[in-house]
Amino acid sequence: MTNDMAVVLWLFGVAAALVLIVGFYCLIATVNLIRALIGLEILTKAVTLFIILAGYVTGRTGLAQALAITLIIIEVVVVVVAVGVVLCVFSHNKSVDVRMIRNVKG
Amino acid sequence: MLSLFVLLPFLAIVMLNLPLKTVTRQLALWFGIALSAGQVFVVIFQPDVFWNGTDLLGRFFTLRLQADNLSMVMLLSIGIVTFAAILVGRQTIADSRLRFNFMNLVLLSLIGMNGTVLLTDLFSLYIFIEVVAISSFILIAFQRDLNALEGAFKYIILSAVATVLMLLSVSVLLMAAGDTSFSSVAAAVKNSSSSHFVRFAIGIFICGLFIKGGLVPFHGWLPAAYSMAPAAVSVLLAGIVTKVSGIYALIRLSTSVFGPDSSLNAVLMIAGAVSIVIGALAATGQSDFKRMLAYSSISQVGYIILALGCGTKLALVGAVFHLFNHSIFKSLLFVNSAAVEQQTGTSDMDKMGGLGSRMPYTNATSLIAFLSTAGVPPLAGFWSKLIIVIALWQSGYYIYAFIAILSSIITLGYLLSMQRRVFFGILSDKLQAVREAGFGIVFPACVLAAITVGVGLSFPFIFNSFIIPIGAFLK
Repeated sequence: MTNDMAVVLWLFGVAAALVLIVGFYCLIATVNLIRALIGLEILTKAVTLFIILAGYVTGRTGLAQALAITLIIIEVVVVVVAVGVVLCVFSHNKSVDVRMIRNVKG
Repeated sequence: MLSLFVLLPFLAIVMLNLPLKTVTRQLALWFGIALSAGQVFVVIFQPDVFWNGTDLLGRFFTLRLQADNLSMVMLLSIGIVTFAAILVGRQTIADSRLRFNFMNLVLLSLIGMNGTVLLTDLFSLYIFIEVVAISSFILIAFQRDLNALEGAFKYIILSAVATVLMLLSVSVLLMAAGDTSFSSVAAAVKNSSSSHFVRFAIGIFICGLFIKGGLVPFHGWLPAAYSMAPAAVSVLLAGIVTKVSGIYALIRLSTSVFGPDSSLNAVLMIAGAVSIVIGALAATGQSDFKRMLAYSSISQVGYIILALGCGTKLALVGAVFHLFNHSIFKSLLFVNSAAVEQQTGTSDMDKMGGLGSRMPYTNATSLIAFLSTAGVPPLAGFWSKLIIVIALWQSGYYIYAFIAILSSIITLGYLLSMQRRVFFGILSDKLQAVREAGFGIVFPACVLAAITVGVGLSFPFIFNSFIIPIGAFLK
């Protein structure tokens, strides 16, 4: 691997880590259920970037592609279910504010 | 023909959802019962054709499935608890359309759980854990009651964070190993055990599994999800779902992929001991039946993790045996709570009392389950706790052994208070009309109680022939 290539890969890794941090920040800072789901999506995208990076570094790009595509499919299913739950909450409360559904103690 | 464990429930779901709903709606229940009972049958009687026959269907898939003794124990508990949950669901869910959806989701969950305990690859582990998780999200929320939706949403968010942590770890391990199968990851971990990246990856993977298994300090979602879910779903969730997706994965990974490793074991022991104590103390203050059982579940899972961290062969045998016992007696307690909740319409223990005279079977099975949970001889829970305490003592962890015994007494205390507030005492005027729950609840309760008593009484006979060989999964 040439020196330039290594620098590019490090930059890629740092960018993915930044996306991860943005996702966690979004998840923690928001009180809106839909935004929390967007935060989750950002987190998963960061992880997908990491998997692609790992595939590139080890030279197994085929495997990494398969994993990334599977990951995307599963994440879509999770988000669809989560949005369904949020829709039900909305039809009860007429609001997607997380502070409205804190009836049950931790 | 291991792939049948995954393929048969899948085919059942496909068949049930063919456009012949009037016929299939009747069949759904029987498909579920046949699959779960068949699973128990093939595990107990070990028909040679099934386990050693050539796996023709499996050749079409790249999943490499493998069943060792640990997987057998898990398959057995999955079969039993799913069976109980299906019967309870039939009794407690009145609407036939909802009941049909429930059966489909239980079958989906069965696919996920069977896959999780059989496969040998980190990424497929993630896929199947996610299948289980998705079906339980829908199951928790499926009566669309606001509190249940809240429980489901908490579970979705925390479980998604857990999967992100696990996948991040998978990507780092993929970088180190070039593959995600258990064997190559284990080799890579062994070769680069001092690498900070690999240690970081192991740490966050374990964190993710702690969230999935509901261990303290990541237990926030668990009481909400357990107590707000419909009764039949709590049986399934508390009995087996979190045990498979969190605890089984922890046992498998910490013994044969990431470890054995002394610092990992130390972390497991601390997490286990903290869960035991916090779970037991939190359970004492609850007045809601299902919330108390949820905290009790955290505490019992702590015993499994504590024994896992101890790391000797005897301790691991104790951990797996306690996992089996716990899935039996905890689902029994949740079946009882389903009976009480259905008949009285509440799960607040302060509004109950004296139900024992009206619900004799529920009373008796609940008594057996709570004595087994608290570790009273000669029930099954006593023996597994005894093995764990002996193993801890042998390895010189006297303080942990002391914590385990002391918390057992606290367990006895809060479950005794539960039994007294719900079943003993004088029946109040409002509850005069209460009758015993239907066959669909009483029958699984009696079966589960019989297993608890039977395993406990026959323990001296099965100790050498069944329980010690569980440890054979250790390399």
